Amino acid sequence: MTSSETQPVAPSPTKRLEDEGEIAADYLEELLDIADLDGDIEIDVENDRAAVEIVAEAPGALKHLAGSHGEVLEALQELTRLAVQTRTGERSRLMLDVAGYRAARRAELVTLAESAIAAVRESGQEVALDPLNAFERKVVHDQVAAAGLSSDSRGVEPERYVVVLPA
Amino acid sequence: MLADALEHLVRGIVDNPDDVRVASRATRRGDLLEVRVHPDDLGRVIGRGGRTARALRTVVGALAGDEPVRVDVVDVDRR
Repeated sequence: MTSSETQPVAPSPTKRLEDEGEIAADYLEELLDIADLDGDIEIDVENDRAAVEIVAEAPGALKHLAGSHGEVLEALQELTRLAVQTRTGERSRLMLDVAGYRAARRAELVTLAESAIAAVRESGQEVALDPLNAFERKVVHDQVAAAGLSSDSRGVEPERYVVVLPA
Repeated sequence: MLADALEHLVRGIVDNPDDVRVASRATRRGDLLEVRVHPDDLGRVIGRGGRTARALRTVVGALAGDEPVRVDVVDVDRR
């Protein structure tokens, strides 16, 4: 990347993320085949990350691939990132969703963050939330920052939680 | 199906996919799936603090539904 001669060789960042998505889709597609599960794989690039979703053909059919607390989704995302890394040699920050689980969870967390923000503004005291995983904490931190307040993560996984701080 | 699914999940994350073997054994506590990989890939399959092995167990457990299933990554050098 330092000399102009190498530029034509380096793939564009978007191309690289699309390739990540393709590798992930192959890995997941074959898993669905083996497990005899019906689902389509959608690939996108969002916020400088590959975004891959397993879309259920029948509503609720793939619920167990998310898990009741998203734990299966996190595990599947971890393995999919490793599968991408094995092929590309680069760490992947790919985001996986199954049957809209993350999208629905994000909406719940935005509501949760908004009520915490309101409580902090009203009381002037910090408010601690229940433990959340890394993805969930990021949703809350982003929401708090957008509201012009700040937040911290405290505690040790899997009990790590967000504290919303007064301005 | 579970052994095939596990074999696929592991083959995708190692440098030596052709050396991946998954054996299924019925035990009193449900099926036991034993994973064997190339010694160079052992660390990759176990992961930092056992993280990857745990992810494999979580996904296989979800695919198994209600039936109990265990996943064991066998260290070939030691057994």
